[in-house]
Amino acid sequence: MQERIVITGCGVVSALGVGWKAQAEALRAGRSGVAPVRYLETALRDLPVGEVPLSNAQLEALTGAPAGWPRTSLLALAALQEALNQAHLPSTTEGDTLPGAFARTGSRSDAEGRVSPEGRLCAEAFARTGSRSDAEGRALPSGVALVSGTTVGGMDLTEKTFPRYSPWHGCGASTDLPAAFLGVFDWATTLSTACSSAANAFIFAANLLRSGQYSCVVAGGSESLSDYHLNGFNSLMILDREPCRPFDATRAGLNLGEGAAYLVLETESAARARGARILAVLSGWGNACDAFHQTASSENGEGAYLAMNQALTRAGLAPEAIGYVNAHGTGTPNNDASESAALRRVFGEALPPVSSTKPFTGHTTSASGSIEAAFCLLALQEGFLPPQLHYHTPDPACIVPCQGAEGVALRHILCNAFGFGGNDSSLLFSAL
Amino acid sequence: MRPVYIHSVVCLDQTDPSFGTLLSPMEARRMGRLLKRALWCATRALEEAACPMPDAIVTATDYGCIANSEAFLGALKAGDIPRPTHFMQSTHNTIGSLLAIRLGCHGYNATYSHRGASWRSALADAWMQIALGDVETALVGWFDEATPALQEMDPAVTDRAVAVVLSSSPEGAKGLLENPLTCERLIGEP
Repeated sequence: MQERIVITGCGVVSALGVGWKAQAEALRAGRSGVAPVRYLETALRDLPVGEVPLSNAQLEALTGAPAGWPRTSLLALAALQEALNQAHLPSTTEGDTLPGAFARTGSRSDAEGRVSPEGRLCAEAFARTGSRSDAEGRALPSGVALVSGTTVGGMDLTEKTFPRYSPWHGCGASTDLPAAFLGVFDWATTLSTACSSAANAFIFAANLLRSGQYSCVVAGGSESLSDYHLNGFNSLMILDREPCRPFDATRAGLNLGEGAAYLVLETESAARARGARILAVLSGWGNACDAFHQTASSENGEGAYLAMNQALTRAGLAPEAIGYVNAHGTGTPNNDASESAALRRVFGEALPPVSSTKPFTGHTTSASGSIEAAFCLLALQEGFLPPQLHYHTPDPACIVPCQGAEGVALRHILCNAFGFGGNDSSLLFSAL
Repeated sequence: MRPVYIHSVVCLDQTDPSFGTLLSPMEARRMGRLLKRALWCATRALEEAACPMPDAIVTATDYGCIANSEAFLGALKAGDIPRPTHFMQSTHNTIGSLLAIRLGCHGYNATYSHRGASWRSALADAWMQIALGDVETALVGWFDEATPALQEMDPAVTDRAVAVVLSSSPEGAKGLLENPLTCERLIGEP
C-alpha cells in the first residue's frame, strides 16, 4: 500500500482574523468577515470585500517582516509562521542565519530595484543541497520545499508604480520573500492556476512526497486584494454589491477576499519518526480541466465532476463515505449551477452536507483552496459543519446547502477549488 | 518509478511562424502574440510526437500574459474603462487553459510561475506523474513574452516558446528525461 501523506501543521489568515483559533470561533459563531473596503486603495469603494483585518504595517509588526513587501508575501508569512510552529519545524527569522540558497533572494536587486533572475540560483541551491541520494545513487534535494499558489503576487505594488514594475511583481518573487525570511526551505516554487492555485499546490506537494523527492513539503497559497483584480472581476460583471449568497436563487455574484493558508505535509513515516502530531490525512485529490471557456463553467460541470471522482478513486472511497463537502460556491449564477450539476452527478440523491464558506471570507481566489482546506481540517478536528450564511431562497438549478451543525463526527471531507480556464481541483481530507 | 521519455521538442525564436493554417483570421485577431506562439509550438510538438491528446498539460510561464496585464493596468491608470478581455487573458493559466480548450483535453492541467524556476517545476510535475504511473503522456510548455517595462525590471525575461511531449513509452522516443529536480541542464533551455 502506498504510504499515507499526513498533515502536521496548519496556518491560516483570512477576513476572519489571524490564526486557526480565530477562524474556528468565527465559523462556529456564524460571524462573517466581509465588510466595506478599509485598507485597499481603490475607487471601487461600494463593493463589500473580505479583507484581513490588519494593515500592512500591522502585518509587518506581527510577523517581523521588513517594510516594502507585497501584501501577498506578508499574509503568506503570517500563515507560514503558524503552520511551522504547529508542526514544530525549526525556522530562523534572523537574516544572518539563512541558508545560502535563499539568503540572497531577499536582496537580489540592483541599485535601480531590478531583480536578477533566480534560475541559476535554484540550480546552485540544488547543487549545494544534493547530499541525499536515491537507490540508484542519484542525488535528491534534502530539507523542506515550499509550494505556494498565487496569481496577484506583487501586483498590489506594481499597480502603484506602473509603468514601472515592482521588483516583487512576479508570483515567484512573492513566494521567495517569506521563504527567504523563514530560512527553513531549500527550494520554493509557485503555482498559478487562478482560483485553484493553492489546491494544486497540495497536489504537486503530494507528488514530491510520493516520488521521494522530499519527506516534508509546506504547501498552500496566498493572495492579497489588489485594485487590479477588483477592477478585473468588476469588468466581468460578477461582483455582487451585497454580501454574496452562494446557491441562493437571488445570488448575483461574488465578493472578493484575501488571505493565506499553508499546511505542512509529510510522509507518515517521516512524521512518526520525528514524533510529529498528525492532524489529518490527505487521502485523495483530483485535477481536471473543464476545457469549456476561459471564464465560464460548463453546464454539466464536467471538470468539477471529474476532479471530485478522481479524488474519491484515489482515496478508494465511495461517495457515501463523504461527510461534508466544502464547495467552491462563489455566488456567481454560473459557478454555483455548474458545481451543483457536478455534485448531483457524483452523489446522486444521497448528497452529503455541502456549504460554501465564501460568505465568511469572500472569494480569496488563489488562496481559497488552502484557506478552505484549513476550514475542513478545523471541521474534522472539532466536529462541526460550517454553516452556509445568507441562504434564503432555493434555486431548482442548485443544491440546498447545509446550515451548520455541532457535534458531528466527520471521517472524510471533500474540498473543491475551481479556477478560470476550467482548472478544477478537489482535495479529500480524512481523519487519521 | 518508471523512466520518462522525450518524444518531441519544439522551440520558437523571436521570429513568428505563419499562424494561417492554425487560426482563422478572426481567432488570430482575438489572440495575443504569446498565445498564438504557444498554440503553434504545442500543436507542432504533439504532431511530432504523434500524440493527439495528452493525458496532462503542464505550463510554465515566468511572468504570464504580461501584455494583457499592461493593457489593463494602462487603462486603469488613464481612468479609462478597462476591458474584460484584457483581464481574462492576463491570468497566468490563460495559456494552459487555451491549449486544453483547443484540444478538448479534460486531463490534468497546471501552470507554474516562479521566474527562472517555472520550467524546472513544470517538467518536474510531468516527470513525477509519468514516473509514478498517474499519466502516460504530457504536453509541457514554457511560454513568455517580454515588454520594455518588464525587461527594465528583469532583464532576463525574453520572448520564449518551448513545447515538449513526454511519455512513458520508449517507442519512437528521442531520449530519456532525467529528474528535472536534480539535473543541471534542463531540456529546452537556451
